[in-house]
Amino acid sequence: MLTRFSIVSFLLVLFSACATSPIADSEDSSADELGDADAFASTYVVPDSAPTVIRNARVLVGNGESYTTADIVFSDGKITAVGESLVAPDGAIEIAAEGKWVTPGIIDVHSHMGVYPNPAIASHSDGNEAVAPNTAEVWSEHSVWPQDPNFEKAIEGGVTTAQILPGSANLFGGRGVVLKIVPSITMRGMKFPNAPHSLKMACGENPKRVYGSKGGPGTRMGNMAGYRKAWIDAQQYANDWAEYETKKAKDASAKAPKRDLRLETLAGVLNGEILIHNHCYRADEMANMIELSKEFDYKISTFHHAVEAYKVAPLLVENEICSAVWADWWGFKQEAFDMVRSNAALLEYAGACAIIHSDDETQIQRLPQEAAKVMAAAAEIDLDYPPELAIKWLTANPAKAIGLADQIGTLEVGKNADVVVWSANPFSVYSKAELVWIDGALRSDRSNPQLPPTSDFNLGIIEPEEDRP
Amino acid sequence: MRLSQLIKAVFVFALVSANLQAQTLIKNVALVSDSGDYPAVQDVLIKDGKIHAIGEALQESDSYTIIDGSGKRLSTGFFNANTDLGIREVGAVETSVDSSSANARITASLRVADAINPSSTLLPYNRSLGLTHALVTPSAKAGLFAGTAAVIRLNTTGTVIDEAAAVVVELGSKGKLVAGGSRAAAFAQLREAFEDARDYRANRGSYNSGNRRDYPLSRQDLQALASVISGQMPLLVFVDRAIDIERVLDFAKRQDIRLILAGVEEGWRVAEKIADAKVPVIVDPINNLPSSYDTLGSRLDNASLLHEAGVTLLFTGMSWHNTHNAYLVRQSAGNAVANGLPYQVAIAAMTTNPAKVFGLSDSLALKVGAKANLVLWGGDPLEPSTRVEAVWMAGEQQSLVTRSTRLRDRYLSIIKAAQ
Repeated sequence: MLTRFSIVSFLLVLFSACATSPIADSEDSSADELGDADAFASTYVVPDSAPTVIRNARVLVGNGESYTTADIVFSDGKITAVGESLVAPDGAIEIAAEGKWVTPGIIDVHSHMGVYPNPAIASHSDGNEAVAPNTAEVWSEHSVWPQDPNFEKAIEGGVTTAQILPGSANLFGGRGVVLKIVPSITMRGMKFPNAPHSLKMACGENPKRVYGSKGGPGTRMGNMAGYRKAWIDAQQYANDWAEYETKKAKDASAKAPKRDLRLETLAGVLNGEILIHNHCYRADEMANMIELSKEFDYKISTFHHAVEAYKVAPLLVENEICSAVWADWWGFKQEAFDMVRSNAALLEYAGACAIIHSDDETQIQRLPQEAAKVMAAAAEIDLDYPPELAIKWLTANPAKAIGLADQIGTLEVGKNADVVVWSANPFSVYSKAELVWIDGALRSDRSNPQLPPTSDFNLGIIEPEEDRP
Repeated sequence: MRLSQLIKAVFVFALVSANLQAQTLIKNVALVSDSGDYPAVQDVLIKDGKIHAIGEALQESDSYTIIDGSGKRLSTGFFNANTDLGIREVGAVETSVDSSSANARITASLRVADAINPSSTLLPYNRSLGLTHALVTPSAKAGLFAGTAAVIRLNTTGTVIDEAAAVVVELGSKGKLVAGGSRAAAFAQLREAFEDARDYRANRGSYNSGNRRDYPLSRQDLQALASVISGQMPLLVFVDRAIDIERVLDFAKRQDIRLILAGVEEGWRVAEKIADAKVPVIVDPINNLPSSYDTLGSRLDNASLLHEAGVTLLFTGMSWHNTHNAYLVRQSAGNAVANGLPYQVAIAAMTTNPAKVFGLSDSLALKVGAKANLVLWGGDPLEPSTRVEAVWMAGEQQSLVTRSTRLRDRYLSIIKAAQ
């Protein structure tokens, strides 16, 4: 068996080598490298925008810090200064924000916008290739319908970035994609440039329910066997490519193995380039999944839903795994029965990485309200999680989970200018995201009905001359 | 105090206060109600299961449990007007769900009250979070008529208050499917059912002696509809599309029956007509997406627009969490207020309005003489960040311990020990 180090170092060489070497003369000229890092690359371009300064706002930085009153300056898409009485660049747009609150753009690590769009009709149901327990070959981005009317509602709720995942019927559901919530005719126009890919895995009830009568897995032990078989195949695949690369160095006519999209995704996980986002409810199953990741030398980024994460908080701390949870969903299936409303608070208290995700078209529009529920549940056990801390669950921590902490998730100098001005404390039910910038460009403005522009679907759908509200 | 001790103390406190017939004086508390009848901050005396007095500086007594309500708010318990409480324990576990039947002989006559489980973990959980009453509605499966809804209080005893609260029909996209693929078929089926029920009602004797034609509906189903025709029960119709709402209003008028509308996501488009017909509506004000072709007009200010037209509102929610987290109806209410609905109207939609529609007028009113079903809040009850500090049902303070808090406390102590 290859060790983790040898796979990683080898594949790193492979990827970098292929970027510069000319395509070998072979029958299948497309199959010369393990994967194509640039396939379906983002076409999003940061728009030109005037420098902007937000004045005298209550600022939640996103990393636990806050300012009672501060200014924020951004230009050329980046935050350039945060502090008191800042000097604005020439020609800067001034936003008076006395009494208002400012946060980083909210990041939802678990959304199905675009892949399960509205109307929720069969014609639109593109979120889960539920035809086999392992569909690691599918990419959710290829299902994204950019006209989903949910996108504009999400940015009106302060969401600037969302990870769109495939569904959870399969052991391996396919790749996720990170999108910026900007209007676009094509998916690639929303795709977050160079964001790491992710792979959705699912534990527990869903795979065994869906495949129990279709050849399996039909049990949790069947689930585990299915993951292990797949990882063994992925190791073999990585080996085959490694051998090919060795041969090719000596012999230019060496024949590359045939590309296999499914194994390519799994090999991408083993080499550390694809992040694991693992739907998993029960504590004991999370522990098994951690053991599995050790057996095959890969890293789990985040357990999603993680209803019982509070039961294994120390284990999650030890293994540096984030938990993306709902505030209070429960009881829709057996593995969601042991919900506690303080799940995220208990994780925070234990020192684990807690994230509030939506997985939901309604809650994505008001994620701070979900965090507010956790704050209430925390108070019941005498844990005080103030706004500057709770905002981490919606910004810095999700940024870390999707491998973009260097670009988004906090209002620090050098970060992307994904900024939200709220009418009041964002954790209040009465608060509204009034202004939302992505990369310094204003994308949502409650005083301007054209921002965001409405989806094609909404035009004249009820009254010919009106937009759907 | 260790947590286990604290839990014991709460239990003991609950028992003691029950033994004392629960005489409780809450001092200096801000009242949250559907009216401005009382000044903002008052004392409230709970005695003999009722709100005995509301006033400034009420006389104290040694026999009272005194609670300082400073900085806190007091409301009645809230009502969620569309839930599966007591008939759904775990959604995906069929043996724990009783909300619908595939038996075509039992549709309108499916009384959810017969299936309600007072030991459901959902009851203490939602009660501990401020929900004291709910409508439990069946879901359509084998026929257009889903069954007969019940009104419950979230108690382990005397749970069902009204076992025949309304006959439930699902029209719109669901009814269309059940009726065979066209909403026109659903309306035809609805008309036929009422014609037959009237015929049955007028000719019960000859029907029972076998001298009347057969009806597609079973005798029990006809009997349930007869109670709607006689005015004993309202017809509760789930419907969203504006034109369908109009047709249902017209149908109810022709049939001369009491009507309640539910769903009503496009209600704002026909708000005046609903108001003119004096038909109350059950809405979830948090809905705003075109999730189907029946709800293209869904919008966040639906509740506000309906109210402006004069429609009586009852709330449910939040979204599909209206059963396990039925208490979150107050989050939906908060979002309605954030989108233009007056605050007191939102409170009415969870208290006095459902009480009026379902005949509970003395149970959810914040006034002297009403049953003391009360909730003490740490702040504004419409804020998700607000916690519940105490709950009284008919004057008795309820334990806030639930299966969920037991789990929480078990693992909190483990996490603490590890640190």
